[in-house]
Amino acid sequence: MLSRSQFEIAAKAFIANHDSHSHSAWSWFDSARPGYGFMSRTTIHTRPIPAHDLADEETEDDATVTIHPTHEQLTCKQYVVYSASFQVPAFYFTIHNSNGSPLPLSEIVKSSLFKLGVPDGSHATTFALTMPTSSFPLLSQGDHPILGTPCWYLHPCESANAVQELMREVQQDTWDEITRLVRWLEMWFMVLGGAVSV
Amino acid sequence: MPIVQFTPFSSIIQPDFWHKLTNLKIDVLKLSDDALTVSGSYSTGRTVKDRESGQEIALGCTIALGDGAFDEREFGVPQGSVRANGTFKNYNTIEDFKAADKTSLFNQEAEKIWNQILTTRSTALLTHFLLITYADLKKYKYYYWFAFPAFVAKPAWELNGEWKGAGGEFSSSQLGSIHTQLKLQKEPLAFFLVRTDTQDVSISPVEEYETFFANTPSSAQTIAFVDPSAAPDSPGWPLRNLLAYLRALYPATTSTVRVLCWRDEHPVVEGLEWRSRFGVLEVGGAEAAAAVTRPQAVGWEKNPQGKLGPRAADLAPMMDPKRLAEQAVDLNLKLMRWRILPALDLEKVAGTKCLLLGAGTLGCYVARTLMGWGVRTITFVDSARVSFSNPVRQPLFEFADCLDGGKPKAECAAASLKRIFPGINATGHQLSIPMPGHPIPPNPTSLAQAKADVEKLERLIDEHDAVFLLMDSRESRWLPTVISAAKGKIVLNAALGFDTFLVMRHGARASSVKEGVTRLGCYYCNDIVAPADSLTDRTLDQMCTVTRPGLAAIAGSTAVELLASLVQHPDGIYAAAPPPAQDLHATQSYAEQGGSVLGSVPHQLRGFLAQFRNMPLVGAAYDRCTGCSETVLQAYEKDGFDMLVKAFNDQKYLETLTGLDKLFDEGEAALEAVDWDEDGEGDDDF
Repeated sequence: MLSRSQFEIAAKAFIANHDSHSHSAWSWFDSARPGYGFMSRTTIHTRPIPAHDLADEETEDDATVTIHPTHEQLTCKQYVVYSASFQVPAFYFTIHNSNGSPLPLSEIVKSSLFKLGVPDGSHATTFALTMPTSSFPLLSQGDHPILGTPCWYLHPCESANAVQELMREVQQDTWDEITRLVRWLEMWFMVLGGAVSV
Repeated sequence: MPIVQFTPFSSIIQPDFWHKLTNLKIDVLKLSDDALTVSGSYSTGRTVKDRESGQEIALGCTIALGDGAFDEREFGVPQGSVRANGTFKNYNTIEDFKAADKTSLFNQEAEKIWNQILTTRSTALLTHFLLITYADLKKYKYYYWFAFPAFVAKPAWELNGEWKGAGGEFSSSQLGSIHTQLKLQKEPLAFFLVRTDTQDVSISPVEEYETFFANTPSSAQTIAFVDPSAAPDSPGWPLRNLLAYLRALYPATTSTVRVLCWRDEHPVVEGLEWRSRFGVLEVGGAEAAAAVTRPQAVGWEKNPQGKLGPRAADLAPMMDPKRLAEQAVDLNLKLMRWRILPALDLEKVAGTKCLLLGAGTLGCYVARTLMGWGVRTITFVDSARVSFSNPVRQPLFEFADCLDGGKPKAECAAASLKRIFPGINATGHQLSIPMPGHPIPPNPTSLAQAKADVEKLERLIDEHDAVFLLMDSRESRWLPTVISAAKGKIVLNAALGFDTFLVMRHGARASSVKEGVTRLGCYYCNDIVAPADSLTDRTLDQMCTVTRPGLAAIAGSTAVELLASLVQHPDGIYAAAPPPAQDLHATQSYAEQGGSVLGSVPHQLRGFLAQFRNMPLVGAAYDRCTGCSETVLQAYEKDGFDMLVKAFNDQKYLETLTGLDKLFDEGEAALEAVDWDEDGEGDDDF
C-alpha cells in the first residue's frame, strides 16, 4: 500500500524514467488542491467497422481521396488516481468514438483497450461488470475522484495484494526508497496490464 | 502525371465538447444563433498497430475539438499539435438546421479565407473551418456538420514522380534540425518554409516567403506543413490551401513546388525511417492561374455512411439515468429564463431547504410543487401513519402503504419523493409536535420525550431555510411559529376549510424590522385568545379535514408559488406586501412595480372555492401576538423549554405573558379596533 505522498513521488519518478517521446506517455497533472494530482494520458484505440456500400459514395472533386476506413478511431483518456479508501492507485478511464459518444460497456470490453474480452460468468449491466466470485463490480461507472467527471474504473480492492506478492519476488535490500516506490508502481502497472493495454 | 489527391480532414469530437456546448446553450446562448469562434487542433498523422492483424493502421486526417473549444482562456494546444479556428453556428430547431443555406454559409467562410490571403498574406486562416450544430438538449442528441473549405486548383496539381520518404530527399541530420527548429518556435508553426543551405537547413514562417527565399535556387526551396494525414500517398487537407495561397501571391515562382509533408512529431531513433513524406508538385496553365477571383472551394465532411450529410452524436444511452433526470429537471426550469424570465434566479429557489411540518394532503402537494421548482432538500415531519383514506387524496401514498397498520407518513412520503426523482434529498421524521392546550403528562418519561421532540424540531428548523406549516390543527402550528420567528426563517402557512383556504407568509421578527416599516403578521396575530385544544370533544367531521378534494392542491401550490415569489424578491422575508386592491400590470416588469420578477409577494391569500376567487390580504403584526411578539420570543429565548412547558400546560400563560388577558378589560373600543381581523377567522379553521 502507498500513502498519497508516496504515490505522487512514485508517479513522478515513473514518468521521468519512461519515454516521453511517445504519444501514449503518461504525464502528471496537478490539481487545484495541492497533493491531489494524478497521472493522465490519451491513447488511441480502434475497432473494425462494417464495410458499407461503396456504390453510394459521393465524390466531390477529383483531388480528394475517397477514404474507405476499415477501423473506427476511439479515443481513450486514462487516469491513475490515488484511492484514499484502498490506499493504492486506481485506474480510471473514459473512451469515446469520433462523434464524442462514450462507448457502451458491451463495446468497451470488445475494444482494443481490453485484453480479455468479457470474462466467463460475469454479469454485465449498462453500468457495471461484476464477476461471479466477487462482491464488487470489476468495472463500474463512477466520478473521477479529483476532476469529478463521469468515468469508468477498475475496482482497486484486489490490487494491493497482487502487487505485494510480486514485490516479494523482486524486492532487493539495496533499493533506496524512490527505487522501491517506482518498482511498486511498475508492478501495479503489470497487474493492471493483465486486464487492459497499458 | 497523376493528379495529387489530398486526404480530407475528419472531425473528432470529445464528449467534453458536447458538455460545454450544452452549458453554453442553456446558460449563455439561450435562443441566440449568432456565429461564434471555436478552436480545434490537429497533429501529425498517426498510425496504430491493430491487435488482431498486427498491421499498422493509418488513422484518419483528424482535427479534434475538446472542452476548451469555446473558451480562449481554457483552450490549450496539446503538445505537438497546431491550432485551427472555425466559425460555429448553433441552430435552435432541427428544422432551422436542416433548412440552413449550407452553400451560402460555406461560401462565406471560403470568402473569409480568400480575403485573408489577399489582404494580409497571413496563413492563419488556411485551416479555418465551419461547424453547424443543432443540440437536442432534452434527448442529449447532437446533430452537426463540419466543413473544411479548401480551394480547388484548376488545372489540378500533378505529382512529378512519386511521394517518397523525406529521408530520400533530406539527410537525417537535416530532418533532425527541422525537428529541433520547429520545437524552438514560440507558437507552433502549421506551415513553414525550408531552405537547404550547403549542409544545414533553416526554416521560416510562410509569411516571409519573399525575403527568406530571395537568392535561393528553386532546388533549395521547400514548402512544408504539419501533415495530419498518415496515408503514404496522399498529403493532408491543409496543403490544398497552402498551395492556393502560394499560387495567389507568388504565381511566378510556384508552378513547381517541392513539398515536405511533416509527420514526425518525435525525432527518429537512429536506424529507423522518418515518417515525413516528400514530393514535387506541378501545376499547368502557369501565369493564367494568377487570377484574383476566388477559386471554387470544397470540403463538407462526409458522414460515416460516406454521404455528404450531417452526423449525429447520441449521448443519452450512456448517461446514468439518475444524472440524466437531474439535468433534465434543471433544463426544464432553465428554459423559463430563455424567453420569459431572463432575470429569474432559479438557483435561489432550488437551493431553498424546505421543512414540511405535516405530510398529509397539503404536505404531499407542497412537496410535489417544490420538486417541480427544482428544490432538492425536502424534509417531512409527521407523527401519523398512512391510513386507508389517505392515498386518494395524498398523492405520495398508495394502497400498499396503508397495510399492516400503515407506514409512518413522513418516512413514506420521503421515500416516495426519491422514487419519483432520485436526485432529491428527502428525509422523514416521525415526531409529535407539542402544543398549547395539550398538557404534557406530569411524569419524567413524557417530559423527557417532549423535551427531545422540541430539541429535534429546533434542530430541524435550524437546518432549513423555509418552514411550511401544513398540519391539521391550529395549536400544533404554535411551537414552530415561535421557533421559526426566533431563528428568522421563512414561514409559509397553509390551512384548509371546507371550500376556503388560507395561505400566508409570516412577517419578519419585530426586532429585525426597520423602524417605520409595517411589520407583517403571523398566523396568530389575528387572535385575541391563545391557541387551545381544538381537537378534544369534537365530532369526526370536525376533527378530520373535511374539504373539497381539489382545495389542497390549490392551496399547496399557492404556498409554494408564494415561496418562489418571496425568495426572488430582493428584500426576501422583508418584502413589502402589495396593498390588497393593487393589480400589477402585465405589460411592465413586475420588479419595477415593487414585486419580484415573478410578480407580487402577497402577505395572505384567502381562497373561496364556492366563488372560484382568491383574495390577497394584508394583516399587520400584533404586538400582543402569542406567536410572534417580541415578548413571547424573548421569553422563549431566555427560558427555552421551561417557558414552552408553561405554554403547553397552562391555558392562561400565553395570554398573561402577552397581555391579551388585559385586552378583555380594555373594553369595547379595543375589540372594535381588531374587529376586521375576526371576519376571516372561520375560514382558516378546519
